Amino acid sequence: MKHEISQKQDSSVVAFSGEIDLESSPAAREILLKCFESTSNVIVDLSEVSYIDSSGVASLVEALQAAKKNGSRFSLAAASEPTRRVLELARLDKVFTMYDTVDDGLTA
Amino acid sequence: MSEFPYDKDRRDPRRFDRRKSTNVSAHLELLSKMSGHLAVTLNIEETIQKALDLIVQFVKAEGGALFLLDNRNNTLVCKASVGPVDIHGITLNTGEGIVGQCVAENSSRIVRDVQQDPDFDHSVDESTGFQTRSILCAPMVGHFEKIGAIELVNKSDASGLFSDTDLLMLQTLASAAALAISNAHMAEDLVAQERVSRELELATEMQRSLLPTARPAPFPVCGINLPANEMSGDFYDFFELGDGRVYFSLGDVSGKGMDAALLMSKTASLFRCLGKTQHEPHVLLATINRELCETAIHGMFVTMACGLFDPASGEVQLANAGHEPPLLHARDGSFTATPASAPPLGILPLVAGDDGIRKETLQLDGGTLYIFTDGVTEGDLANGKQLGVDGFTAIVRESAGLPAADRIEAVVSRLGNTGRSRHDDITLLAIDASTTCLKKDITHNSAPMVALHTFPARASELQAAREFVSKACADCGCSKSMATDIVIAVGEAIQNVVRHAYKDVEAGEATLEIVCKDGIIEFQLQDSAPTVDPEKLKPEWPEEPGPGGLGICIIHDIMDEVEHLPAPSGQGNLLRMVKYIESNRNET
Repeated sequence: MKHEISQKQDSSVVAFSGEIDLESSPAAREILLKCFESTSNVIVDLSEVSYIDSSGVASLVEALQAAKKNGSRFSLAAASEPTRRVLELARLDKVFTMYDTVDDGLTA
Repeated sequence: MSEFPYDKDRRDPRRFDRRKSTNVSAHLELLSKMSGHLAVTLNIEETIQKALDLIVQFVKAEGGALFLLDNRNNTLVCKASVGPVDIHGITLNTGEGIVGQCVAENSSRIVRDVQQDPDFDHSVDESTGFQTRSILCAPMVGHFEKIGAIELVNKSDASGLFSDTDLLMLQTLASAAALAISNAHMAEDLVAQERVSRELELATEMQRSLLPTARPAPFPVCGINLPANEMSGDFYDFFELGDGRVYFSLGDVSGKGMDAALLMSKTASLFRCLGKTQHEPHVLLATINRELCETAIHGMFVTMACGLFDPASGEVQLANAGHEPPLLHARDGSFTATPASAPPLGILPLVAGDDGIRKETLQLDGGTLYIFTDGVTEGDLANGKQLGVDGFTAIVRESAGLPAADRIEAVVSRLGNTGRSRHDDITLLAIDASTTCLKKDITHNSAPMVALHTFPARASELQAAREFVSKACADCGCSKSMATDIVIAVGEAIQNVVRHAYKDVEAGEATLEIVCKDGIIEFQLQDSAPTVDPEKLKPEWPEEPGPGGLGICIIHDIMDEVEHLPAPSGQGNLLRMVKYIESNRNET
């Protein structure tokens, strides 16, 4: 798993790529939680994520819970097919705010 | 009336008389002396000779003889003799002569003048030259059985006649002697019984030692023998050859007694000895047959199956002489029987080959071959019914997830706890190819197996494992979306092994076997971690949306069949997942 963080307007866009699994999910969790220290809106770009497992999903859930706790916003954007499928299977596709593109998320 | 002094003296002590007093104490002294002799010795011959000496002396007879009854041919044999003529060893028929009648009628006789008595048998006098004038005879009865009689001849005082007191005296002494002889007989029987039972114990121990020692898994062969009595007419054995193959055998000797047990020991020894050099099982059976025929006894015979299992190929070469058909429980759940090609051993000369004992080749293909005696299939269940072949296959099927040793134990435990005594020995042997042949099967199995991947159960290995799954799905013709789902499900399963199964112990290996056949793709994920209770692995959606237990729910959502089993090797877990394949064509 690789990641890239860009500041767009007052939001942080975190673009993950590759696979978020048991090996990399602790890193994904750290990255997301750290973003909330400097911004109140985090958008995760999942377009280049080829696979995410339940531990990766757990990292996303934890970030969502952290955002709710301190009044920040957290959303997912441009989820790849495999990512969307896992969120569907996990019955979490309605729990997260999901945008088709990162831009949709920024203008919302 | 009786002149015996006791009665009068007891009735009226004032009439006590010195002469009679001496007589009474002498009686008592003799009785006590004789009883003392009789009580302490187990050597009957010596004791009865001493007793007779004392009696003859006391009653003042010229001679005497003690006869014991031989129940086998209903004769009386003289075991002790006192007097001028030694008649020791002579034999009389019961019912004949005065002694014979005494025993037959269980009554005492006093014959004051034998010349006047029609029962007197003159033959002994005629052959010995002795002249019998009077006879006193009392039977000996002990523990409700006739033992024999004591006969005294010719009172040696002036009158030459026995008195009633003499008769009473003899009766009393004969009773004491009878009791002692009877006790000594019983003691002899007990000693003999004790010796036989000790010998039986040693023989049982010896016979148990002929059975092979159990070997832990993954050794592929294990067996059980449960004798109905102390000694078994069944046997099983197995040993390894230098090339890794395992020779095994199981046999059942006709009959159940000590003779069957001895023939069993002989046959088992022949197998072990000849099997070391003769590696063709059908030739081995023919050789054992020749040996047994040469020394055949009482029409006894042996049904026997033996064979060689090659763990490297999963192949068994089997020969069966008159034995119950061994059953192969294949991986697909089916059972196949291999009936005997030849009659039992020890009856007729047999050749190895198509005209006699054939060699059958079986591919176990990861399945298990069961060989058993009719004591198993004809064994009684708790409900009184016989187990039967169907009952046997049902138990084996139920316990399919267990190690082979536990499976045969499961069969035996159904037969062993019925509370009834068994009427036949129970013997069961299992040749289990599932543990040893799992990996090798993949390459030369008739089923189109796709792949096997063994990896350390670590997070860093997960990606490679998923790629392996993804490729297998493509090879099997899964649609792209189905392949995505399968990778997600199997990925979760593997992740669970890494994250949960090995949580408290050092990470071991995991093995993923993928089989694609008949429109299904099957995944068997096996680990060697501590066994997890399958009850804890049921899918349960969390009330709050969150990651807990998510993996299991996803697996159940995607897969068409999910099964948690104990690993066949006995340690670890086996997760079996099946997906019914929709091919690429359906997607376009």
